Amino acid sequence: MSFLTLANISKTFGATVAVADFNLNIEKGEFVSFLGPSGCGKTTTLRMIAGFEMPSTGIITLDDMDITYQPPNQRNVGMVFQAYALFPNMTVAQNIGFGLQVRKTPPAEIQKRVEEMLALIHLEEFASRYPYQMSGGQQQRVALARALAIQPRVLLLDEPLSALDAKIRVELRLEIRRIQQTLGITTVYVTHDQEEALSLSDRVVVMSRGHMEQVGTPYEIYNYPTTEFVASFVGQLNLLPIANLDRTARSCTLAGQPVHFEHSTDRPISDTPRLAIRPEEFWLGDGQGRNLLRGRVETLIFLGAIIRVRVDIGDGVLISADLFNARSLNLPRVGDEVLVSFPVHACWLI
Amino acid sequence: MKAPAPSARRHVQTLWSWLWIVLGVLYFVVPLIATFDFSLRAKKDVLTFLAYGRIFTDAAFWRTFSFSLQMAFFAIVVSILLVVPTAYWIRLKLPRLRPMVEFVSMLPFVVPAIVLVFGLIRVFSGPPFRLTNTFAGTNVLLVAGYVVLALPYTYRAVDTGLGAIDVRTLTEAAQSLGAGWGTIMFKIIFPNLRVAILSGAFLTLATVIGEYTLATFIVGNKAFGPYMSLIGQNRTYESSSLAIISFLLTWAFMGLIQIFNRGRAEGHLAGAR
Repeated sequence: MSFLTLANISKTFGATVAVADFNLNIEKGEFVSFLGPSGCGKTTTLRMIAGFEMPSTGIITLDDMDITYQPPNQRNVGMVFQAYALFPNMTVAQNIGFGLQVRKTPPAEIQKRVEEMLALIHLEEFASRYPYQMSGGQQQRVALARALAIQPRVLLLDEPLSALDAKIRVELRLEIRRIQQTLGITTVYVTHDQEEALSLSDRVVVMSRGHMEQVGTPYEIYNYPTTEFVASFVGQLNLLPIANLDRTARSCTLAGQPVHFEHSTDRPISDTPRLAIRPEEFWLGDGQGRNLLRGRVETLIFLGAIIRVRVDIGDGVLISADLFNARSLNLPRVGDEVLVSFPVHACWLI
Repeated sequence: MKAPAPSARRHVQTLWSWLWIVLGVLYFVVPLIATFDFSLRAKKDVLTFLAYGRIFTDAAFWRTFSFSLQMAFFAIVVSILLVVPTAYWIRLKLPRLRPMVEFVSMLPFVVPAIVLVFGLIRVFSGPPFRLTNTFAGTNVLLVAGYVVLALPYTYRAVDTGLGAIDVRTLTEAAQSLGAGWGTIMFKIIFPNLRVAILSGAFLTLATVIGEYTLATFIVGNKAFGPYMSLIGQNRTYESSSLAIISFLLTWAFMGLIQIFNRGRAEGHLAGAR
């Protein structure tokens, strides 16, 4: 049996369904992220694991024990919040030692553990500081150390990096993964940031409107999205209207231009199918497989490492192509006629 | 007609501001200076602190003052124990009830103290809670009355303090670390409301020390308020000196609130480097 199991979990607030029919098994030591937009139910699910919300239906088991209705202070689950939630009246050392003090751990043992935790987050010299004397990133590290000090069975992180600036976010993201792997602690991470989820997790659960859309490794989620929502939420995606669909020949037309695809027949397709292609699959010029489209460059958007070229291929259909900003890149100008190619295996029908 | 230059307009505005400030200061300070001056004229043609000396050597002054201090102390303790958990629970679990509780906490401003005291005497002079027959009973009743009277100050101060901290997240953080409600209240909530509680306590103290209506009808001349009134009726200069003393006491309490608040603000600024 899995270490953490959520079976048939649902949660309603009055007439609003926050989470519906949620089933997930998490193995010991696994890092799982709940990814989705605001209001998709990811935080509610996390709060049910923490014990701050009770499920309307379903069972949560942790290490073979039913914890569905167990009070949060008896679950031995560590939690890190978006707003840090350090106790303002306590120093860093007191914050980290709080959980151990509650458990009536001997003072010498508390001190030893606090020192270990401070070393883990590289903040040894900050032990006697108060939270308001530290930056947001430092406070969140302390919050992480405080949650880990009690040696929780599961670590829960509720958008812990959302309040931090971009550079600190990336640094702390790596730090969280390093600590998680060092300790081998089972971790559930809530985020609306796809980059965070993809870079941190062993598995990602994509959620929308209270439902699980897809569960898989970051590679599977990005490269083989099973629903339109996942395909468009995770990464950039061109969703293009098609005509003259021939399922047998696996071909169609896109703005009057022929396109071939390698669409797996076991994937469901909507009644009004559209062609899905990631922007990075395009290539300017002839040379990337069977599909070749002719169009006119409408805009060029510089995104640093990437240049996004928007090409009008006729009938008002615009495609976005991402090109690596290499010095050797022969960049077209706005208004230029261009050829855009992409391999047949790079597109699929939704 | 040509409009006045911006600098001239600013000059006129400054003059008006100063005029209103001076008028305001005079309105508040002149009666105090007059009272203070009068309190120094216990001897003909000499300015003397004689009236103050008589007050400080009067045993009744110390007796009533210490009694009122004790009553204030108990009122503060009961208020804190009653208001802090209530305001905390309302913020945490019943936020929809907040407007109603705020309204109830304001009632002592609306209901006159005389109505409150007659209500208390009527209810607590018979069974099941016969409190007006014993000294201890009347003291309990007086403290209870003071708790009600101070409710607008204590509730507002505590509620504002709770608004300044993220009550829900701090509570959940403590719970996830294994803390029960008692630990959360006494190790997280109370320490983080220190300034708010002190503000409420000093306001309660300032209110209770000079309170007249409840004290007169419940405990008679044992309290400081009725003592001040009695002095006012019988001893002219001493009553003025007592008025000044009570003003100084109130200001001292307000000053203490400011000192505690300033200490906290400076601490945070120091940390913002």
